[in-house]
Amino acid sequence: MSSVFNKIKDNVTEGVRENQEDAIKRGAGAGKRTILIWGIAIIVLVTVPTYAGDYVLNVMILMLLYMALGQMWNLLGGYAGLVSLGQQSFIGIGGYALAIVSQKYGLPALLAFGIAAGVSVVFALVISIPIFKMQGVYFTIGTWIVSECLALWFSTWAWANYAQGYNITITYQMTATHIYYVALAIGVGSLIVVFFILRSRLGLALMAMRDNESAAEVRGVELYRTKLKCFLISACVTGVAGAGIYLQQAFIQPTNAFGISWTVSMVFMVVIGGLGTVEGPIIGAVIYVVLRQVLYNFPGISMVILGIIAIAIILLAPKGIMGIFGRRVTIDIFSVRRK
Amino acid sequence: MLETLPQALVTGVLLGGLYAIIGIGMSLIFGIMKLTNIAHGDIMILSTFLTMFITQNLTGNPIIGLLLTIVIMMFFAVGIQKFLINKVITKGAEPALLVTFGLSIIISNALFLAFGANTQTIQSPLVSMNLIRTENVSVSMMYMVSFLVAVAVIVVLTLVMNKTSFGRAIRAASSDTVMSELLGVNTKRMYVFAMMLTVVTASIAGMLVGMTFPFYPTTGTQYLIIAFGVVVIGGMGSLPGTLVGGIILGLAQLVGANFIGPTYQQLIGFIVLLVILAIRPQGLLSKAVRK
Repeated sequence: MSSVFNKIKDNVTEGVRENQEDAIKRGAGAGKRTILIWGIAIIVLVTVPTYAGDYVLNVMILMLLYMALGQMWNLLGGYAGLVSLGQQSFIGIGGYALAIVSQKYGLPALLAFGIAAGVSVVFALVISIPIFKMQGVYFTIGTWIVSECLALWFSTWAWANYAQGYNITITYQMTATHIYYVALAIGVGSLIVVFFILRSRLGLALMAMRDNESAAEVRGVELYRTKLKCFLISACVTGVAGAGIYLQQAFIQPTNAFGISWTVSMVFMVVIGGLGTVEGPIIGAVIYVVLRQVLYNFPGISMVILGIIAIAIILLAPKGIMGIFGRRVTIDIFSVRRK
Repeated sequence: MLETLPQALVTGVLLGGLYAIIGIGMSLIFGIMKLTNIAHGDIMILSTFLTMFITQNLTGNPIIGLLLTIVIMMFFAVGIQKFLINKVITKGAEPALLVTFGLSIIISNALFLAFGANTQTIQSPLVSMNLIRTENVSVSMMYMVSFLVAVAVIVVLTLVMNKTSFGRAIRAASSDTVMSELLGVNTKRMYVFAMMLTVVTASIAGMLVGMTFPFYPTTGTQYLIIAFGVVVIGGMGSLPGTLVGGIILGLAQLVGANFIGPTYQQLIGFIVLLVILAIRPQGLLSKAVRK
């Protein structure tokens, strides 16, 4: 009797061990596959300028920079539960940092990126004092009003050349390849930032908050500090990406720099790709930039079509393209989601 | 500065009335379906363009133009509420917010396609008339009419909400969706009615705005922020609060402009708004919400 029992026990433990080994093998395989995908992606991205023309390069620049913007909005809206309509504040600050540093004072552009990051973080820290008192929809509105204030302030500010803004002539000394590598650094940098945040303690706290805020707080997650960290990181990267965007645009002016349309495009990308996923903003950015290039030939109607597509996707697939994918295939390039 | 202060105070209060009527629709929608309608400003400007178009091409009389606009806008309201917003309203805050965001982009760009980027106005004899004119203070007829219309609309809406069974059903739907469904209130239908009420007030506001200020297809955003400001200061969902919010915003803008300079008028309005939000995040007249 006992031998039969032992045999069953052995069989069971054997089975469990096999399963574990399988899992380990599969895990290792997934690791290799991830490294392979990453390797190919990096090689392709780094070598793009050697075989692509200027047009493709410019499209790639836009994709990378918009992807960085999307990632940062997603970090706030998708993970920290902070739906912001004021991310354009930091784009404008970044753009103006570049314009003022390189154009007004003739200093190197590299310094401008550092200043863009620094000023964005400081501004975010200052503005967080009143803004973080507001919750939910009030936060959403508050962030937007801050941006509108900046637009109005820069229009009347002599130091920022009033509403005329600046031509950023440093762009003309650079080739598309140079700007491409800047954009690549920003885009990949934003991915790395998000990846490491989500893998860190901060990421764990964020996921706990995303799933159940009260439960997370009871378990010792400091909501205020976690949200503030996200807000600051997202401000920093958005500011740098803003400087990158204006390096390509070569012209800055307050109503454009602090305009709501920046956040419209971020929301569009994240929602289409999938809120609260790392892959979402990547897919979203590619679709958004391609759509914009295609619709470029139909001025006026293009924004109407974008609006219709956004509404259609929310109605048909509220979780975005990643939501459709996620159910059928498990592509886990970024295994950061703890389910 | 000091001698122009009475004028700033009078204009500020009267302008506040106009701001209040711009914000009422937003307050209604938020109070009833807990939705932040990002398209509110654009819906208002859409009605302004419609009123202008009908008045110029068909009737010649802005009041008849307004009535026709209201009829058209009500169909529009049923359409967007029934086929778009009601489909996502139960799926949490973000999807509905984004649907109105999409609507806002579509409306402003469609207006741009139809009417071009030119600045437009609705002609009205009221603009050049003054009700009172003294050495220090003059009261514009247009501002006075806007203010009185705003007060009238707020009083009527408050009565409808508090005294009629229709109002009670709407309030029931807003305070407890499940319970009111159990008691036989069709909440989604109530939402459609609420949206219809909203576009009526937005159309009235749109006509007044079109007569008072020049407008173009992208002005909607500007008025959306004003509506936000009014509703946020007064407290989301509080009708009398809208009037208080409007007057505070109007006064802040005009008194600030009086002392610091007219270029800072809007900026001061927004800063006052942010300060009020930071001190009383739930608005001045709304009761603190327990979670």
